[in-house]
Amino acid sequence: MATTTSPDELQHEIDSLHDRLAKLQHELAECRRSEAKFRLAAESLPAAMVVVNETGQIVLVNAETERVFGYSRAELLDHNLELLVPVSSRDKHAGLREAFFARPTARAMGAGRHLFARRKDGSEFPVEIGLTPIDAEEGLLVLSAIVDITERTAAEAEIARLNANLEQRVLDRTAQLEAANRELEAFSYSVSHDLRAPLRAIDGFSRILLNDYGTAMPIEAVSYLEEVRANSQRMGHLVDDLLAFSRLGRQQVKKERVAMAGLVRHCLEELRDQQAGRCVEVLVGELSPCSGDPALLKQVWLNLLSNALKFTAHRKLAIVEIASHLVAGPGAEKSGVPKQKECDENLVERSGGELRYSVKDNGVGFDMRYAQKLFGVFQRLHRAEDYEGTGVGLAVVQRIVYRHGGRVWAEAEPGVGAAFYFTLPREGGDGESRPG
Amino acid sequence: MNHDQVEILLVEDNPSDIKLALHAFRANNLANQVHVVRDGAEALEFLFCTDRYASRSMADGPKVILLDLKLPFVDGIEVLRRIKADPRTQAIPVVMMTSSKEDRDIVESYQLGVNSYIIKPVDFDRFTEAVQQLGYYWLLLNQLPALATSCAG
Repeated sequence: MATTTSPDELQHEIDSLHDRLAKLQHELAECRRSEAKFRLAAESLPAAMVVVNETGQIVLVNAETERVFGYSRAELLDHNLELLVPVSSRDKHAGLREAFFARPTARAMGAGRHLFARRKDGSEFPVEIGLTPIDAEEGLLVLSAIVDITERTAAEAEIARLNANLEQRVLDRTAQLEAANRELEAFSYSVSHDLRAPLRAIDGFSRILLNDYGTAMPIEAVSYLEEVRANSQRMGHLVDDLLAFSRLGRQQVKKERVAMAGLVRHCLEELRDQQAGRCVEVLVGELSPCSGDPALLKQVWLNLLSNALKFTAHRKLAIVEIASHLVAGPGAEKSGVPKQKECDENLVERSGGELRYSVKDNGVGFDMRYAQKLFGVFQRLHRAEDYEGTGVGLAVVQRIVYRHGGRVWAEAEPGVGAAFYFTLPREGGDGESRPG
Repeated sequence: MNHDQVEILLVEDNPSDIKLALHAFRANNLANQVHVVRDGAEALEFLFCTDRYASRSMADGPKVILLDLKLPFVDGIEVLRRIKADPRTQAIPVVMMTSSKEDRDIVESYQLGVNSYIIKPVDFDRFTEAVQQLGYYWLLLNQLPALATSCAG
């Protein structure tokens, strides 16, 4: 006898089926939304997206693929992927594709190699490709993300071209500089030889005239000959000083730790003649050691100290003060003026700090209106008959200090005295020029 | 001049410098024994008794050579090199006399074995003094080994 189903039971069954239907409909909607989201994402990707199956058939492309390759979606779907590969690489590509399907891993395709793709019109363009295997119901699929890198490649080529250009320009400029240097050296060399020879003749024959025929000449003639000699000798000094100055520009600065106190002592010793028969009080404060070229820095001290002694010659008691201070570097204060105060340790530390050395005297001084002329070659602020000199000394000081990365300046008042300052960068921490 | 008596060989191309040097030698009673050559090529002929000086004997080599650095034909550095490279002449003292204060000349000269190097001063008194000292040191004080060699020809 057949089992009969009660209406209640039937109703229950129907309700249950309704529920399941509703649930399925809901899931379907979910799926559709999800797929729509996926399509939206895929379509809006800035890279061409091509999905192929194991036989190499294209199963999915996005809008960017159509744009980049110039094919419509219909022209691509179900066609072989090699359609998008340059003709010359198609055979090889098919082999590589099959190998990839055998051992699929997500990776950049042909990393480090230049890859090209082919448009519908047959033109080829450089691409970058990322490969991602996808396990799908219908089997293994591979998603390729393809980016047209034409512009980037062009930009890279442009950068490479500019770099090569720049290197060439550096080479050219270096060659020019070297040529100019050689020329300068040849010039100094011939000045050194050829300019001195006639001076020697002028001085020599004047001297012979004075020695051998001086008694036969009127006093006036003798005094004129003395003028000739004095001037030829002066020009000899000028030539020598100028050559020394030009040599400074070419000379290497060999930095090492320099004990400034000892250097100053040596210089004062060398300048003893300038102090002979005079009352000179030299006050040497504590002098910090620095990093620099000892031979060049000695020249700086010699010139500054010799100036201080020279321009105090008329004083009954000449006073020369030598000192050094650790000060904040030029970047520490907004003002940027060379005049600076000793400042607190923090400021010094922040700016790296520099060492400031000074030579002060109570000599004739000079008018600050002409201060900027002070360090020029052959610039003199005093009459030649009052104070001898060629006007190269402070130019030498400035050149040496600049070549050390420092600054130099002066403060003075006529009849009261002058103070010369120079700074040297404090070099610490980098291990260079440190005591051993 | 009788070449046999040469004690000082002056190699100098500048006529003013020659006159000044001779004047300085005269002042020091050294002028009679000075022989002047005007370029590097002539200096080498004189020293090695060839060409213009083929009749000279190597045994009568000068006691001292005053050599200018910048010379026509063969420069002073090359003359110095040849003198110091030849056993017949390498014992003769060579004093470089030059206007140059360039370090590279001084360094190169000493590397080649120059005996002394003086920079001709602009001041004539100092020049005379330098010549006097040179004559005194190299001609009177300096003891040279006897030259045993002579020209083959």
